[in-house]
Amino acid sequence: MIGRPRLRRYVRVGGMQLVCLLISVGFFALPLVYLVLQAFKPFLSFLQDPTGLPHPWTFSNFTTAWTQGNFGTEMLNSVLYSVVPTVLTLILGVFLAFPISRGYFKHSNALYAFFVFSGFLPTGLIPLFIEAQKLGLYNSRLGYLVINSLAGAGFFFFVGYIKTIPREIDEAAAMDGCGYFRFIFTMIIPQMKPALATFGVFGFVAAWNNLILPLVMLSDPGLWPVTRGLFSFFGQYSSQWPVVAAATVIVAIPILIVFIILQRQLVEGVAGGAAGTQGVTQAPATAQAANE
Amino acid sequence: MAVSPFGTRRTRRWIPWLSIAVPSIGWLIFGLYPSLATVFYSFTQYSGEPGTPLNFCGLCNYRAAFTGSYADFYGAFITTIKYVVGVTVLQIVFGLALALLLQHKRRGYGLYRALIFMPQIFSVTVIGVMFSLILDPQTGPAEKAYTALLGGSNSFLGSSTWALPIVILINVWMFTGYTMLVYIAGLRRIPKEVYEASSMDGAGRWRTFWNITWPLLAPATTVNVFLTAMGCVGEYALILVLTDGQYGTKTLGMYMFDEAFGLQPSAGYGAMVAIAMFVVTVVLGGGLLFGLRRREVAL
Repeated sequence: MIGRPRLRRYVRVGGMQLVCLLISVGFFALPLVYLVLQAFKPFLSFLQDPTGLPHPWTFSNFTTAWTQGNFGTEMLNSVLYSVVPTVLTLILGVFLAFPISRGYFKHSNALYAFFVFSGFLPTGLIPLFIEAQKLGLYNSRLGYLVINSLAGAGFFFFVGYIKTIPREIDEAAAMDGCGYFRFIFTMIIPQMKPALATFGVFGFVAAWNNLILPLVMLSDPGLWPVTRGLFSFFGQYSSQWPVVAAATVIVAIPILIVFIILQRQLVEGVAGGAAGTQGVTQAPATAQAANE
Repeated sequence: MAVSPFGTRRTRRWIPWLSIAVPSIGWLIFGLYPSLATVFYSFTQYSGEPGTPLNFCGLCNYRAAFTGSYADFYGAFITTIKYVVGVTVLQIVFGLALALLLQHKRRGYGLYRALIFMPQIFSVTVIGVMFSLILDPQTGPAEKAYTALLGGSNSFLGSSTWALPIVILINVWMFTGYTMLVYIAGLRRIPKEVYEASSMDGAGRWRTFWNITWPLLAPATTVNVFLTAMGCVGEYALILVLTDGQYGTKTLGMYMFDEAFGLQPSAGYGAMVAIAMFVVTVVLGGGLLFGLRRREVAL
């Protein structure tokens, strides 16, 4: 027989588990589950019973959405737009952060402060749009990649990180005749793997999810990424919910896979970044990345 | 100042410059210049379309905001304030409640935290379409639940009363997981001894929370309030998908986007709204930082 205090503890722990389960699944996961269910519903059954379970289950909404929405091309565009700028921004960020971190310039600290401060300036979306048109970067795949690869100065997170890599390595490598660029690629970048991985994932997710910049910069549907495509698709097929739901699932799945694989790193990245001592100055980019 | 040890005596000086050249020039062209040019364009009557004249008109857009377009401008400003206050307050309350609930390392809790964190990884397009489906006044489950519980019907995102609160709630739903994680990190840094001492003194749960947990969480609260408020001053992507800024959901960001890229584009006026947003950000951010820091010291 179980003693009463022990029984009470079991009930309490079980109750807590139930509350947590209800909140996390019922409140945070359920909308997504509902979306997925609708995507498997034939249109007729949706008209008869819009909120019920699919009956019978069908896969045709996905094929319809995929072909009608041109998601094949858009998926490739999205991959291009998220991978290339993220990788380039990280590499350029290291090249910018390393000399500043090592103090190779006069007033390195002032330069650093200036870069950080500039993050708080007004949004430059409108002049960027005008500039892109003048430079021939508007409505062009290459132009979109150039803008996204070069605009980001998310490097200051790296400055602190590089400071933890001992300077002695620099001198030893230089003594052995290792060149600057080779040193960064073979010594510094491998040492920065954890930081690069965290910001790489956040950068990738933010770029994949971006809606505003494609909306402003790309007018030709053949150049659109999936988010932009879905936005249009939603406007066009707004009454055919099962097909729209299928399109939404198609757009969400790659990010969901990234999340499932890297869930731990993402969650810890946020907690770690925000919990750091320089919380307020460090975290805006993560929050912004998440926001956009 | 240290000297780079790399390269020969001659190349040593300029190699670091080469290293920062490409990223800095890129950032100057596509980061700093557009930001600063916003100020310039806010003094023009430029449409933003190539080939149209760029009329420098001084403070005309600023004047318009307080005369002809005053109702729109003031409306967007008030909506922004409501939006920021609503999201920040709710996200702090829910985030902290969830953090208190899920701070422990127990079986299953990692999964629960991950699920609560999950919504923010999706694009606003995905979240926006998903909630449009759920809140559809004809076919959505929200309508069914509303009729069953309260009777009557509600047009939700098409209602001037409900659209703004709903958009605020969706924003909170998306980002509460972030606030929760920051609070959990804060909770884990409170030493256990403090709680032991307080339970020895016979303090109840409620008193322990107000006298110990809440004050010791002040740094986490600072981070959360600041980030949440700053993050949603300029928010409009989610609003764009959900309501297109209609039914009383036009924030300054949405207003700027509409003016600059709408049917009758006016980059000049849009840039002025961007500057107004910047002023709100600076005043609010500065005020919050000052107030929150003082509070941290006082507690």
